[in-house]
Amino acid sequence: MVAASMSVDAVLLALKIAFLFLLYVFIWRIVRAAAREMRAPQDSFVLAPLAERHEKRAPRPGMLVVVSSPDLEEGQRVELAHEAVTIGRGPLNDLQLDQDDFASGKHALIDPRRDGVWVEDLGSTNGTFINGVRLSSSRRLAPGDVLRIGETDFRYER
Amino acid sequence: MSARTRELAILVLVGLITMTGFASVYIARQNEISAGSLSYAGFFFALYLVAHFVGRLTVPDADPYLLPMAALLTGVGLTEIYRLNPTDALRQGLWVVIGVAGFSATLIALRHDFRRLESYKYLFGLSALALLFLPALPKIGRSINGARLWVHVGSLQFQPGELGKIAMIVFLAAYLHSKQEVLALGRLKDFGPLLAIWGCAMLVLVATHDLGSALLFFGIFLAILYLATSRLLYVGVGMTLFLVGAAGVYETTAHVRSRVTIWLHPWTTQPVPCPTRGGLLMQRQECESFQLVKSLYSIAQGGFSGTGLGKGTFTLTNGKLLIPDLNTDFIFSALAQELGLVGVAALLLVLMFFVVRGFNIALSVDDGFSKLAAAGLTFGFALQTFIIIGGILRLIPLTGITLPFISYGGSSVVANFILLAGLLLVSQRANEAR
Repeated sequence: MVAASMSVDAVLLALKIAFLFLLYVFIWRIVRAAAREMRAPQDSFVLAPLAERHEKRAPRPGMLVVVSSPDLEEGQRVELAHEAVTIGRGPLNDLQLDQDDFASGKHALIDPRRDGVWVEDLGSTNGTFINGVRLSSSRRLAPGDVLRIGETDFRYER
Repeated sequence: MSARTRELAILVLVGLITMTGFASVYIARQNEISAGSLSYAGFFFALYLVAHFVGRLTVPDADPYLLPMAALLTGVGLTEIYRLNPTDALRQGLWVVIGVAGFSATLIALRHDFRRLESYKYLFGLSALALLFLPALPKIGRSINGARLWVHVGSLQFQPGELGKIAMIVFLAAYLHSKQEVLALGRLKDFGPLLAIWGCAMLVLVATHDLGSALLFFGIFLAILYLATSRLLYVGVGMTLFLVGAAGVYETTAHVRSRVTIWLHPWTTQPVPCPTRGGLLMQRQECESFQLVKSLYSIAQGGFSGTGLGKGTFTLTNGKLLIPDLNTDFIFSALAQELGLVGVAALLLVLMFFVVRGFNIALSVDDGFSKLAAAGLTFGFALQTFIIIGGILRLIPLTGITLPFISYGGSSVVANFILLAGLLLVSQRANEAR
């Protein structure tokens, strides 16, 4: 009888250790997956409309400086106001690139919000690139980012 | 490997963990080695397999780790509930089945586009109120431990506030998403419907003495409001209102004053006459703080690696439970005794990763309603966990509320499974766009 209860205790000890060990194996799997999925800068999930468009203290959104372009002059500055700006080859865009054959009619949208300036591709043929990476969803611009639309490169500055 | 295959692989691991835990409880209870626990683990695994296959059909690209984490937490909770009271475990098992059914129904019903919920926002707001108000109705409402939170239909007992929480989050996300631009301007009239519905909810909760849920709803409201408008001012005003409200409630309600006293001074030096639940007066060292003090002793008893599942001490020599509500509000201290610091730290990590992945989903989805809903659901989960574990560890005053997925309580389990389905739907949307 004593021997039996000894072995019950031994089994319980083994199960306790196994349980805790497996629990940490589980956590390790999740941490490993999380590390693998770490991507380039995360966007913010604060929805932040630039609602105080007419307020004086609204932050200035910054500007786009032309780095190289078949159309615009190098070094030309495009000051962003608080309204969204569309860029493309077509005549209805706020910023028109009619000499840039690689730009689509309606190419990209620059949207200044409270938490920064966001870029969205409007379904262009050749894509919109930030620092050489093609946009798949809207992204926030950081100062110094190079935005490529067609054959035109802009640098975003505050 | 596809997302769902990874999910399946890790579900097998969860099945193994649950089997080990249950075997431990079973063997400790019978005091002999047997394989009787295998059928239980098999049943549990089959249940999650069903959830997995529904996921495979409806949300093939969604996050693969949320379901296994939920499965692990329910598995551990169910094991501990079985250890404390096998009859409760049977009932809880049934609730998990209903939970998985609710999970599957939500996924199937909303698999095409859950964003159509956005157009029913007032319906959600009003049903949240109705659900919160249900227990106050005379025929079906029932109060337990001074709080009137339960609804009885036949022998079924349900706490509708848990579902009300989810309806409220959907309402807040939809309303704030459609009105975010004007709300950020801060004109009072835009806040009308928001404050009306939310204010009613707070009134109902305070009137039914459900302070834990009141705190939860308040926190969720502020969080979603901040996410929608990014105005810290609102959070500041909200916190100020909270402090004023808390001070007011403290002054006027004896119930709340005693909670704060218990929190700050749980230990008394002299035995005092103390009414117990049976209506008897007993000389006890700790009276009102009895539950909390015993729970702290239980946690301390666990030490570094715990007593092992099934070997903790929860009953007096006469067989009475040492800590009231051990398998609902206080399940964390039961687990802390049997799994030790190592084990509960692991559980806290799992809860934390659930929250991290939830926020990740909110980050990666690109439309406003989905973002707010995912972030709101996740925040509610996180805050609820914090309120109950913080209360048990004496970090904040204790308010009774369930620990998501782990505690005994049907409505909580069902509501959390629906929450999980919601997160998976948003995750699917974020991943298929990519």
